Amino acid sequence: MAIDGLIILDPFGHPIIQSGFRSSPPAYPLLHIDAFNAALEKSARGSIDPVLFVHSLEYDASSVCCHVKHGDLRFLCPVTGDVDPLYVFAFMKTFIDILSEYLGNISSETLKENFDVVYQLLEETLDAGGHPSTTFPNALRDIVLPPSMLHKMLSVAGVAALAAPIAHGQPFSSPIPWRKMGVRYNNNEIYFDIAETLKATVNKNGAASTTAVWGRVDSNCKLSGTPDLLLNLAGVQNLNDCSFHPCVRIQRWTRDKQLSFVPPDGRFTLMEYRYTSGSVQQIVIPLQIKANVKLEESSSMALSSTDFQALRSCSSLGTIDITLVSRLTTRSLDNVVAQLYLGESATGVNMVATNNSSWSFDSKTKTLSWHIKSAPASSSFNLRGTVLSQKYLRPSRAFRVTFDINQHNFSALKVEQLKMTGELYKPFKGVRGRSVGDVEWRW
Amino acid sequence: MAGLNLNTITENATRFGTRLQETISEHTREFALTRASGTSYFDMPEERVRNIRNQLDSSSDREKLDAMKRLIALISKGRNVSEFFAQVVKNVASHNLEIRKLVYIYLLRYAEQEPDLALLSINTFQKDLSDSNPLIRAMALRVLSGIRVPMIGSIVVLAIKKCATDPSPYVRKAAALAIPKLYSLDSAHQPELITIISNLLRDRSPLSLGSVVVAFEAVCPTRLDLLHKHYRRLCRTLIDMDEWSQADLLTLLTRYARTMLPRPLVASATNRDEPEEVDQDLKLLLSSSEPLYHSNNPAVVMAVARAFYYLAPPSETKKLVPPLIRLLHISPEVERVVLTYLLIVSQTLAPLLVPHHAAFFVRTDDIQQIKRDKMQLLRTVISAENYQVLLREFIHYADDPDDELVADAIKAIGHCARIIPESTQQSLNALMGFIQSHYDVVVANAVLVLKSLVQIRLHKQDLLPSSTAYSPMAIISNLAYRIDEIRHPKARACVIWLVGQYAASPVTSENGALPHTGRVEGVASWAPDVLRKAAAGFMKEEPTVKLQTITLAAKLLVLSPSDRTLILLARYVLSLARYDLNFDVRDRARTIGSLLAGVTSEGLYPDKEDGFQEHRGVVLRREQVRMVLFEGKQDVSEDGVKHHDPTAVLASIRSITGRDTQNNLYLPDWLEQGIDPSLRETEDDAPSPAVVTSISSATSASVPRSIAASSRNTPVVLTPTTGPSPAGSFSGKAEGGKGPWMDLDKFYEESEEGESEEEEEDEDDDDDDDEEEDEGEGGEEEESGEEEEEEEEEEDVEDERAPLRPGGHSEGSTAQWSSEHLSTNS
Repeated sequence: MAIDGLIILDPFGHPIIQSGFRSSPPAYPLLHIDAFNAALEKSARGSIDPVLFVHSLEYDASSVCCHVKHGDLRFLCPVTGDVDPLYVFAFMKTFIDILSEYLGNISSETLKENFDVVYQLLEETLDAGGHPSTTFPNALRDIVLPPSMLHKMLSVAGVAALAAPIAHGQPFSSPIPWRKMGVRYNNNEIYFDIAETLKATVNKNGAASTTAVWGRVDSNCKLSGTPDLLLNLAGVQNLNDCSFHPCVRIQRWTRDKQLSFVPPDGRFTLMEYRYTSGSVQQIVIPLQIKANVKLEESSSMALSSTDFQALRSCSSLGTIDITLVSRLTTRSLDNVVAQLYLGESATGVNMVATNNSSWSFDSKTKTLSWHIKSAPASSSFNLRGTVLSQKYLRPSRAFRVTFDINQHNFSALKVEQLKMTGELYKPFKGVRGRSVGDVEWRW
Repeated sequence: MAGLNLNTITENATRFGTRLQETISEHTREFALTRASGTSYFDMPEERVRNIRNQLDSSSDREKLDAMKRLIALISKGRNVSEFFAQVVKNVASHNLEIRKLVYIYLLRYAEQEPDLALLSINTFQKDLSDSNPLIRAMALRVLSGIRVPMIGSIVVLAIKKCATDPSPYVRKAAALAIPKLYSLDSAHQPELITIISNLLRDRSPLSLGSVVVAFEAVCPTRLDLLHKHYRRLCRTLIDMDEWSQADLLTLLTRYARTMLPRPLVASATNRDEPEEVDQDLKLLLSSSEPLYHSNNPAVVMAVARAFYYLAPPSETKKLVPPLIRLLHISPEVERVVLTYLLIVSQTLAPLLVPHHAAFFVRTDDIQQIKRDKMQLLRTVISAENYQVLLREFIHYADDPDDELVADAIKAIGHCARIIPESTQQSLNALMGFIQSHYDVVVANAVLVLKSLVQIRLHKQDLLPSSTAYSPMAIISNLAYRIDEIRHPKARACVIWLVGQYAASPVTSENGALPHTGRVEGVASWAPDVLRKAAAGFMKEEPTVKLQTITLAAKLLVLSPSDRTLILLARYVLSLARYDLNFDVRDRARTIGSLLAGVTSEGLYPDKEDGFQEHRGVVLRREQVRMVLFEGKQDVSEDGVKHHDPTAVLASIRSITGRDTQNNLYLPDWLEQGIDPSLRETEDDAPSPAVVTSISSATSASVPRSIAASSRNTPVVLTPTTGPSPAGSFSGKAEGGKGPWMDLDKFYEESEEGESEEEEEDEDDDDDDDEEEDEGEGGEEEESGEEEEEEEEEEDVEDERAPLRPGGHSEGSTAQWSSEHLSTNS
């Protein structure tokens, strides 16, 4: 009654890594891989239920396959018994985070290159009984060594004793589970990245129907010893729905709105929040789109009730004319991508884009994308052209626009003060802001 | 001397230097290989596979490591490499930890297939269990318990027992995690494992305590009685555990609370000042789990939400909504699951979701299941305040390329019109607009929704005064006028049916103003024209439309049997239908033809002879035909409502898939009274001084006072913390507590009547026990010991009038009581 194991599939649906499914028949993982691939094939536009019910050959032994996508890899977790799928997804997210910390970029190449490390990690994080065991990266780093040049050299040179984790201090000895013992740095520094995502929906009339800013404070901690930090944020009164890394003392937060914590070593996400502006004014969406999409039939046949069949086979033509204007006055919008799904019947696109922007049409996903690498302040871009279609054109009802803004935060959240107790040195702190937008613009 | 030392040092240094140089140069050569080697392990030629055996037997660690990596790569590719088992087992004691780890991975996969060879490795693991490094100890236990060889079961029990008392919490955690594995291998060890679990439950470290929960759930999920003494401590340590344990423990504690704690009393609606009565222990659970709403692990947040949903009094329940809404943005997978949970929540707490309606707006890139659940949720949150916004959203969704979403959205508009009377006008406008759409789905759904709206409102018309401009009849006439624009066959058929069904009621109050030039008597003005149009294009219609056209012709004819035009039209339609290619249409024509035989004076078929031939049987009168055609229609049902399984528990897999799993999560209903709270009291409950902490300290003088002081007047003494005590001793204790209130003579008088009552109560007790046993499965034999205790306790709780039963209990108890009783009196 738990997570039975983990399977990682390459982009072609073949397993790369497979944990040992000990208490299940050998066909069990294959059953899940097949069920997943079959479901993926059937799904339209990659819309596949993340929780798949998998029938079993045996009576009354059905199971469930939870899966997530990461890059072009798929992570599958077969589950039997009554387990909250959220538990499974949380585990997969944790495991993917751990993997990316160990391997950097996760792809089928890096996985194949370091498969021994991946297997060791799997062994440590997922107990054979199906429950996550050690998932704090700090504790894991003591047990499974990250694949580094030095480590490879030492182990190959036969000086294995040096490579053994014992050299790094006793694993399993730290009294704080998320922080390892005896960390030493020459330069004591801690960095905070405040990353915010604007998720908004804009109606046809240009007014936003929903706006939400979700923020995250990522930290990279390189502090010696066991520092106890106290972080004061400016603008904290506008943060709602916060969630924290386990190291944060929640009672302190609910009392004083201060973050008091002993940080783990290395990278971690300190907190996540939702920003709501205190005043009446809403969050301004930093761009504006004027879209003119017209759908018309190319043939001018008179329509009557009896021509219903005839209509279905006639070809149609659509014209699209989009203008995108940046509303920012000082900064530029980077990597602006506007996408529009044109419907299954779309066959070809012919567009003209203004300077510094490019468009592409993916005939497999039937999606028109418009890329603007960098949109300077108050600049304006235009894309226009025609869409060909076999049947009546039926495009998506909204553009999806994504963009980045560097050195900017919607919430204007600032780190006011960082106090440290428990150690004597003075740490260097750095703060960065970054924002991402994901806007659905209805036309 | 110093020079000599220096000499040796330099010598060593140079030697080490050259050695390092050699190895490094060797390594860089190797390294060029290893850069690509990761993948080369995967695509290795067959002869290298054969070489693995030699590599494993070689003395060089590097060779061995290389061989092991090759093996793991082969395993990963799905190849069975159990043939190397013997060679691999030899390396189980390797000094190189990395080799050893890979050996472990291999061993765990193939030990079951080669039990005899696997036994060879047992010794090494047993030795490792005494290693000074906790990592080695934990790892040894993990492998030992993972080797699925039933033969070594008792060895593993010993190992677990040993590790359960290990000084390192990590090793104790490993011990706890090993328990379920052993249990699934051989359930005969259950009694021993339960002892280990109950010992581990006393653990102070949150790290290991969390894993004990896993063991508990696997081995003895029904033995909630083991948790009494640990309940409060578990609640308090909850916040310090790791995230996975928090989720597991919350599930367990939720079940415990439902089984063992009294139901929170809800403040009555009339008297709001009266506070809700919530048990102290339940309060403790809720207050200690509430901070975990801030966890960054969605599973933990969900577990807290579940605890609140099923345990908290109404005033607290509302806290679960904002955290769940927060989860929606984490990832599409989490969103998909949480939305389904929110649907369950919305069954009882829909008003709480209303302020969050914007979170359920459908985005174009949502996956199918998310769209479906969001639409369901949006339906449930429609209210008089937000219907404007929601209607606008629904109307927008009707443009979506996804047919299912379009259908859901249009149905939602209908739903909105039904439940919010003010929105009717707007909804109908939108629906009428959809009828002119280019897209089949939009038109079809709009017509279907309109149809059900019209029907429902006609049904209700007796009750509700129709005040709105869009009366049902007006809608039908509107549809009738637009029959040309409605091209989708299903929608056309639907309109034609509507026209026929309601053509008979030209309400004078509404249609009185219309000019009736050339109107057919008894039929609404718009109806004959629909028939005319349908008849004109009859040949080109789909079969469904043809069927409805025939029915329409018949209905109109019944309503106005003398109209010449209608007879001609009906005759035309029936003759065409009679020779139709589709046999359903031919059948219908024949049926209708014979049904109408008695309605009109003129025959419906040009060749009268044939007509008379057919209608030789019973000929129905007009009123009868009317009954046949118009009455007995099905009641309209609400469309598009997904009925939820009422038994689905929040945050269970069943609520997602809608199907049973091997062991469904099941939450029993509350016990009305709950078990006695003093069972949960322990020595370290310092803040409750009025509590009897141990048997020895309970002097007869202090006991009654403490009982009087406690909120419940049920005198029960807790189970002593050190092992199960003989049942008699503490029943005697309780009686000792009763002592001062009761005269001995009185007692003897009462005891006789008491006996009979007790017997009844005994039966009750038995029933209770039976129920408990029903809830749990398995583990009944082992329970017997504890059950006896419980029985005793419950008796004590319940018979307050006659707690003493000479001879009823063991001799020891009576003796003990009498001595204490005497001392009280003296």
